[in-house]
Order: sequence, then C-alpha cells, then structure tokens
Amino acid sequence: MTALAASTGALNLGQGFPDEDGPQAVLDAARKAIADGVNQYAPGRGFPELRSAIAEHQQRFYGIPLDPATEVLVTVGATEALAATLLALIDDPDDEVVVFEPYYDSYAACVALAGARLVPVPLRWPDFHPDLEALASAVSDRTRVILVNDPHNPTGTVFSRGVLDEVVRLAHRHDAIIVTDEVYEHLVFDSPHVPIATLPGAAERTLSISSAGKTFSLTGWKTGWVTGPAELVSAVLAVKQFLTYVGGSPFQPAIATGLRLPDAFFASVSAEMKAKADLLGTGLRAAGFDVSTPGGSYFTVVDAAPLGAVDADTFCRELPARAGVVGIPLTAFVSPAHRGDYATLVRFAACKRVEVLADAVERLSALPGA
Amino acid sequence: MILSASGAHHYEMPLSLRSFTSLKRALLSSSSPSLLLRGSSLVPTMAASSTTTVSSTDAGAQLNQSAPSSPPVQVAKRLEKFKTTIFTQMSSLAIKHNAINLGQGFPNFDGPDFVKDAAIEAIKAGKNQYARGYGVPDLNSAIASRFQKDTSLVVDPEKEVTVTSGCTEAIAATILGLVNPGDEVVLFAPFYDSYEAVLSMAGANIKCITLRPPDFAVPLEELKSVVSANTKAIMINTPHNPTGKMFTWEELEFIAKLCKENDVLVFTDEVYDKLSFEMEHISMASLPGMFNRTVTLNSLGKTFSLTGWKIGWAVAPPQLTWGVRQAHSFLTFATSTPMQFAAATALQTSDSYYEELKRDYLAKKAILVEGLEAVGFVVYPSSGTYFVVVDHTPFGFENDVAFCEHLIEEVGVVAIPTSVFYLNPEEGKNLVRFTFCKDEATLRGAVERMKQKLRKR
Repeated sequence: MTALAASTGALNLGQGFPDEDGPQAVLDAARKAIADGVNQYAPGRGFPELRSAIAEHQQRFYGIPLDPATEVLVTVGATEALAATLLALIDDPDDEVVVFEPYYDSYAACVALAGARLVPVPLRWPDFHPDLEALASAVSDRTRVILVNDPHNPTGTVFSRGVLDEVVRLAHRHDAIIVTDEVYEHLVFDSPHVPIATLPGAAERTLSISSAGKTFSLTGWKTGWVTGPAELVSAVLAVKQFLTYVGGSPFQPAIATGLRLPDAFFASVSAEMKAKADLLGTGLRAAGFDVSTPGGSYFTVVDAAPLGAVDADTFCRELPARAGVVGIPLTAFVSPAHRGDYATLVRFAACKRVEVLADAVERLSALPGA
Repeated sequence: MILSASGAHHYEMPLSLRSFTSLKRALLSSSSPSLLLRGSSLVPTMAASSTTTVSSTDAGAQLNQSAPSSPPVQVAKRLEKFKTTIFTQMSSLAIKHNAINLGQGFPNFDGPDFVKDAAIEAIKAGKNQYARGYGVPDLNSAIASRFQKDTSLVVDPEKEVTVTSGCTEAIAATILGLVNPGDEVVLFAPFYDSYEAVLSMAGANIKCITLRPPDFAVPLEELKSVVSANTKAIMINTPHNPTGKMFTWEELEFIAKLCKENDVLVFTDEVYDKLSFEMEHISMASLPGMFNRTVTLNSLGKTFSLTGWKIGWAVAPPQLTWGVRQAHSFLTFATSTPMQFAAATALQTSDSYYEELKRDYLAKKAILVEGLEAVGFVVYPSSGTYFVVVDHTPFGFENDVAFCEHLIEEVGVVAIPTSVFYLNPEEGKNLVRFTFCKDEATLRGAVERMKQKLRKR
C-alpha cells in the first residue's frame, strides 16, 4: 500500500505512523546520548535509568508499583516484547492464545511461531465491543494466553471495564496469563486508559507491553518494554536475550526523558489525536462513509458499502487512483474464514498533519456515491 | 517440582524451554559433576530429569520462596540464573573489587565521529518513523556494495539483503525462519551462546563438533562423520568467537563439498570479518556453488565500535531470504531508522578506515598477548576477532570459573570462563577468554595487575 501511495502520489492514511516527529526534548536527548558516547551494549534488561523511568510512569499514571530491577524489561519495540513473551509462555502445540479479531498482523505470525493455536473472539461493526459469552466460550483450560490490545488496532475500540473484568475472571478460572499490548495507552480520547494490570487479581498473571513509538511519535526508534511480576518478566528475558540481546542504546536515556515529561505533554498527545480523529471522522461522514467513532488509537474504521463498495480489498486498491488516498481493508487483519464479516470495512489512520487530513477528506468527498 | 540446593522449590519448566534449560543447567552446575558428562550426545534431552539438582553457584540469585497463585511459568527465573549467573556474578564481583574488565566483548572507546554525526543528523532530519521492514534502501544498497567489494559477489539489495537489530537478530531470524523442529544442525564448539539457545527454540537436533587447542582446527573426518543427507545446516563463525580462529580455505572447501554432496545450508556469522589479522577473511558464500545455499550474517557494531546500535544484516539468495524475512517480521518487524542511515554512511567509508582499525587493534593485541605470555598463561594464537583464549592451568585452579573468580577478587581483572560456550563444559574448563577491545592504558593496567598478583602454583 505504501508503494501504491508513493507511485500514485496519494495521501497515505494506510500505515500507522505519524508524519511529524515527537517532542524536541526527546530528540535532543538522543542526539546528546550519541555524542556523549552512549553507543555500546546496554545491560540485558535495559539501562537502569530507562527502567526506572518506566516504573515511575506506571506508578504515576496508573498507580502500579514496579521494581525496576526485576519487573521491567526493555525490548526492541513492542513487537519484540510480544514475540519473546509468546515464545516464553507457550508450552506445547495444544496451547491456545485468545485474541480479539481483527488483530494486529504480527499476532498470528507470533502465535504460529510459538507453535500455538490462535482462538479469535470477534469484534463487530460498529462499536467493536466483544460479546461476553463469545469471550467466555473462547477461553478454556487449553488457553495459555489471553492477548488484549487496548486501545485496539485496527478498530480503535477501547475495552469497557466489564470486558476487562471478564478477561481477568476467565484468566483466573482457566489459569491463563494475560498479555497486553498497550502501545496506544496515551491515545485514549474520552477517559483515562485503564491497564488490565490495575484490576483486582490481575497483576500477578499479567504481562503489560507498551512502547515509546506512538506516545512520542518516534515509531522508528523501536524501543518498547514489558512489565509484570518478576518471574514472568524473567521468562521473557530468557528468550529475548537470544533474539536481539539488547536494543538501541542512545534511545534509552532519551525515552527516559520523554517518560518524565510533564502531564501537559501526555494530555496533549491524546487531545491532539482526538481532534484529528474528529476531523477525519466528520469528513469521512460527509463523504458518505459510515463511520465507527474510535475510543482511541491512531485509527478510524469506516464502512464503504454506502459508497457502493462490495469488497474492501478492491475498494482500497482503487482508492489511490480514484481519490488519491490510501486506506487499508480491515480484512487484512482478519483470519480468512471470517473475512466475509468485514467485507466492506476500511481502516484510515489519523496520525497525520491536520493539512493532510483536511486534504484527504476533501479528496474523498469527491467520490461518487451516497 | 525440583528441589534446589538452597531448598527452594522450582516449578516444572515448559517443554519449549526445557531443552536449552537443561543444557544451561549442565553448563553451569559445577557442583554436579554428573551433569557435566553429557558424553558425545549432541541431542539436547527434551525432558528435565526430576532428580537433577540445581547449580549452587548462584550465590546472588534470590529465589521466590512464597510463590503467588500465578501459573507455573517459573522457567525464566531458572534460565536467567543459569544464563546470566556467571556474567552477573562476574560483573558484580568486578564492580566490588574495582576490576579491570577484559571479559565483556565491547569497546571502552567510542565509534568514529563521522558515523555518530550521521546518526545525529538523521535524527535531526526527521528519520524517526518506521523504516521499511527489511531495511532502509540506502543501507541495503550499502551492504550489497560492501559485500561485493569483500567477496566479488553481486547481490540484489532488494531481494537478497535483510537488515535486523544486530547480528543476534539475524541469527535468530535465520534459524527460526529456516530450521524446522527435528532438523539436524551442525555447530562448532566453543560457540556464541545464542546459537545453541535459538537452535533449541527451533527444536533442532544439534550435532556439535569441538574445536580444540592449540590451533582449533576443524576435525575434518569427525565433521564428515556427522554430516549426512539428514543435515539441514552447518553453522560457522569466522573469525571465531571466542578462540580467534579463522576458517581456512581448505576447511571451507571441505565443508562446501560436504554441503553440496548432502544438500546442506550454511549459516555463517562473520561479524569480526574486518578484524582479521593473521590471514585473509574468506566468506563461504564466495566459494564455487555456495552462494545459493549460504546465509551470510554480519553487523555494524564490532567494525565501527558501536555495539549498542544493533544494526545487523543477512545476505542470502531469495529463496533463503524469504524465510529470514518472515521470522524477522514477527521478531522486531523493522530496525531502528536513524541508525540505518548512519550505518549506510559507515559502510560507504574508504578502505583506509579498515586499515587503521586493524593497525589499532594489532597494537592492542600485542600489548595483551605479550603481557599474558609474560604472566605465564599458555596463549593460543588468535588470527582474528578481538579475543584471545588462554590456558589458565599454570595457576593451579580446578576450572575456568574458579580461576576467573580468583582473577577478579585477588588480581582485579575480569576474563570470561569459556566453558559456558560448550555443550559439554568439561571441554572448556582449562580455557578463559580475554578481550583487547579496550584502550591501551586499560590493557597495560590489566597486564600490570596480573604481573604483580598472579602467581603460578
């Protein structure tokens, strides 16, 4: 899709990365770290300074107490955190991993690599909240991991307290571990983000994954982390140390600086993204799409059926030429058997400059239909 | 449940990690001789024996006596203890005794300004968002160009070069992407520890050939006896960590012949290729008929003294690159963007950089080797890398771990016990590894301390 965008000059609202860099203080800190010689191997768990900053962040925003020495591990992005976590926890081919579908595309590959079976729980248009009974029937004694991506990519949904409580209850009942992907934690629009690890009874069986990329608009720095009980974190380290050993050193003190920025910075991250999502959503509605209002993340999902689309894949392939905009068909995030349920749904990313979003909206409104 | 020497209870470890966990336990359990004698068996056992005892060398490890109601996944605690105990112990002892660290394989000097400046510029220029998964085009091209200069092979940067987070990830992606459970893979001991660990993760059947002093030559007939039509791949590391051995033309040709006869792949880790001192580095991929069955792995860190940047790569024909990229895409997906731009700048530098690098390291090596010989070690010739292995037995210690502890506590110098690099640690107990990737003052200081305080027995 990126290649298509590049070749047609279309506006790329397909890929989930911003077109502007993050806070100057963080960029400056990385450049200084390089100049000052922070260029050799970090310790296996990450520099103590970053681990402390991560622990402080969890305490500050969520009241989660963490020992930076044993309960925090720095990884090469959230992707590696997830790969190492699944490889560390999956025991045998009959293990199951429960995932909300649609899902971020590397989840299926990670689960397959770890040799487990992926059990999807559908999130349906328009609000993408799971059916609690469907969730309960997906979790069984074979479930090793319940994977919760909240706020959710690609749907933009934010899980309700009721859903999170049910996940914890089921995890207890079936002795499963909860693994979260919270990379959009500072991109929740209407209420504070609630990490599952803060729910009663959850912390002891939850590994929480996040990263710097989305919060600080530095997706190319590939610095993430996993936090949780010491023994679980050590399990992840045991695998991770052989996947990459450690991640990029100069970024670590810079991200520590970022994590210690004042509240106003973090408030502005979600406020700005909400404004962009609103701008995009309004424009998409005006263009004739049905729009699912996201609770968070970079993404807005629309139904292109009102514009005559019958197959989102085709619609998205044609969109650059027809309207000069790139979107991703939601079916790209869905297992083949279920694609029919998402046939006309498209994901757009709002993490672009306001001018770009306004331009995209104008282009899309020129589409015939509705 | 396994009862440790300290009395705390451990839970059964998951099968997926049991294989390399039991190997690690064997490696580091110096108090359990029965575990050390794994004989010639090269296949990791899949089931941990419930009667095996846990190493008691983990003086610093805190065991969780009152396990919470969380699921039994305490693998990692045991694994971390086994993997990092020696290094963690050494490190904390080193700090406590203010020891000079010639153990860890990273420089105490910085990389060249022109490369650092390129990274600083890249950040300033906004190269801070996701890179293309298999590498920034500029870097893929620079890697291909450098590879051509080094091997005369022309490779397609788009289809045959994959950028990863260091060579460690390139190794993981290669093995996880190309090796199936049950596949036989040949390893040479001593080996960089991730090889064995990742092969175990992949469920491979490891066939291990030991390289022995004084010259660590490949035992050709022994190698021939383990390679068959069932062999999936042979892993080579040249120049070799920890011994400094470089695979000769004859050895590589012999291996190549076996590979062609038996349809075997080669995975070759060449991160120290620019630190080749006593002979020319030879890439397996450049041998006749070998490019199509070889994955060549390398990285920026050792050559440019920037080990913390984690920029590595795999060069392989398209049909092997595919598997590497598949694994890479779920391990990390993409590699850090600004460093890739800087790496492209680095790789485009002229040969004079490499000549100067060699000169500097040769001078450092001379200081260390002469010093170690004067102190009384048996120093084995190291043709490449920035490591030297020595025989410590003139000083009267029963094994390498005991010697290294003494070296830190009484002499104030850190070395790495090499038994951790073998499937059968007995084979490495006479050897320790020193590095000379430190500034000259540090090297001289370490030699001085050893001259003063290390006594033969």
